[in-house]
Amino acid sequence: MKIKLSIALLVAVIATLAFMTQSVLTKEQERRALNETPQVAEPYKNESYKAKFPRQYSSWHGTIKSDHIEDMLDSKPQLPVLWAGYGFAKDYNAPRGHAFALQDNVNTLRTGAPVDGATGPMPKSCWACKSPDVVRMIDRVGEMEFYSGKWAAYGDEIVNTIGCADCHDPKDMSLAVGRPHLSRGLQAAGLSTFEDSTHQEKRSLVCAQCHSEYYFKDVPWKDDTGTEKVAKLVTFPWANGTSAEAMEAYYDGLEFKDWTHKISKTPMLKAQHPGWEIARTGIHAKKGIACADCHMPYVQEGAIKYSSHKVGSPLENIEQTCLTCHREKGETLMAIVGEKKERKELLMEIAMDNLAKAHLETGKALELGASAAEVKAIQTHIRHAQWRWDYAIASHGSFFHAPEETLKLLASANELAQQARLKLVRILAKYGAINYAAPDFSTKEKAQKLAGLSLETLVKEKLAFKATLEKEWLKRAVEKGNLNLESRQGIDTRSSYFDKTN
Amino acid sequence: MNRKSALILISMLLLIAAALLVNLVKASKAGSYFSSDPKACINCHVMNASYASWQHSAHARVATCVDCHLPAGNGLAKYAAKALDGWNHSYAFTFSGDLGPSINISQHGAKRVQQNCIRCHSPLVGTLQANAALNAQVSGHGPEDRRNCWTCHRAVPHGTARAIYSTPHAIGVKELK
Repeated sequence: MKIKLSIALLVAVIATLAFMTQSVLTKEQERRALNETPQVAEPYKNESYKAKFPRQYSSWHGTIKSDHIEDMLDSKPQLPVLWAGYGFAKDYNAPRGHAFALQDNVNTLRTGAPVDGATGPMPKSCWACKSPDVVRMIDRVGEMEFYSGKWAAYGDEIVNTIGCADCHDPKDMSLAVGRPHLSRGLQAAGLSTFEDSTHQEKRSLVCAQCHSEYYFKDVPWKDDTGTEKVAKLVTFPWANGTSAEAMEAYYDGLEFKDWTHKISKTPMLKAQHPGWEIARTGIHAKKGIACADCHMPYVQEGAIKYSSHKVGSPLENIEQTCLTCHREKGETLMAIVGEKKERKELLMEIAMDNLAKAHLETGKALELGASAAEVKAIQTHIRHAQWRWDYAIASHGSFFHAPEETLKLLASANELAQQARLKLVRILAKYGAINYAAPDFSTKEKAQKLAGLSLETLVKEKLAFKATLEKEWLKRAVEKGNLNLESRQGIDTRSSYFDKTN
Repeated sequence: MNRKSALILISMLLLIAAALLVNLVKASKAGSYFSSDPKACINCHVMNASYASWQHSAHARVATCVDCHLPAGNGLAKYAAKALDGWNHSYAFTFSGDLGPSINISQHGAKRVQQNCIRCHSPLVGTLQANAALNAQVSGHGPEDRRNCWTCHRAVPHGTARAIYSTPHAIGVKELK
């Protein structure tokens, strides 16, 4: 009897266990199915994601609303003088939405007017941050080949604007960076690589892959056929740290220059939007806030929640950004941000005026016969002053991200520019020009004339390029299967030198 | 059946039961329920939306699931609550086909959360508690009978969209693979 009971009991236990196991396994299957990431064909085309990720896609597409062209050379006419001899003196607009990033790169006068794949002023490296096709091409041809050769060589390959695959791994849509330069830079700075960073850090680092200071490092290499090539490798100058001073020391150590100033003959540095670096010094970053927390806020649509992919100014939807933490009226916060901007504008204008005058006065001193040795210390001041000014403001949002650091750098830029100008007074006096006053640079035209630029030819050549080679690029890109032309609708409408909407 | 073969049968059945049990413990990730890791709460998908909304909230930096949902301090009470919730959850998950679009907290669950709100925010809520106690003397309602913190702070910390379909494809719950 006891035995029979035991057996019956055991069978019941086994049946229960089997049922429970079966139930758990079924639920596990359901869980996996529910957590599956939808797979898309052609992951480097942004429109591929439209059907599976409609909210993320349409919010991303919303960046097309950020379409205003602000010609910065027009609103800040000191700029053509500061950048004389460099591409930025030709054409420089305030940034627009991600939807325009690629087209604006093609349209800017800085990328010139190539007539085939081997001409034009810029290297392939200028595509580096404009498209998920960059990730595709680095995968296909390797990083060294990707960065060797002329910009125009990839006109029919880099054809989809900044989008999904720039920050996501299409396999599971996790955050991923396909550009090796980010982790190399992080390692040089003694920080964790992208892969080793926390998710919260990654929510800033995906931005940092592009919104950071870089330079093109010449790296000679041999391809498979033994041909010697030089890659212009996108490199973050972070080996001494990510502060303006650390990068300045890094560049000085290499005796690196982006260009020689046309007027003052100074070996110059151009700061390229060190947005991530300067933001790190600000209070929001120090409190662990990621770029995406404010620039891609969590929004609700019906019962669905998702991160808005309309990356832009958080002030445009302040209820979902600032006000989720700051219990203030929207207007109060807007006014505070406005004050921060005013403070920056004041110091920035003074710095730009001083720097422009320092360039022109140095040019005058050289013209009157001052020796290279005489102006050496002055040029060093100018180099450092302009670097600090540029570092402080080139990322546009720095006055908010890191107001103290921004104002500190602008003050320091002003001090250095003033020191240069004090020395210049003595030299100009020595060469009989004690009353020299720098010429007027109060408009874009006047300033570009001082920089020795005539836009007429540049614009004519560029428009010819747009009518011929650019059209051919798009045609070939479609034939190669790299591009759906519909994705370009409404994109190529405006620049600083044409407006097709009128 | 003689005694010997019966013993063999019983030991075989015991072996099968033991193997099934080991397998079940593994398949159901039973061990994870002894931890305080929030990921244990998304062993099944039902809590995805709660996890995602917690993860995107300010509370994610200072409090995990168990910090709010289990009694603090007393180990015995904590495991009793875990066992009770665990029983209810596994029963519902195994035998109810449809959990409905929204899962609501149980009364005893709410009580624990309320106590935990007060525990962490005690410097802020001292006056409120004192006032509630005074009010209770007049109204006859106990100070904890009526409103909970989230009666007013409705979106803390899970937001206002908390249906189980509010995170399609588990986007936002990247720990899930």
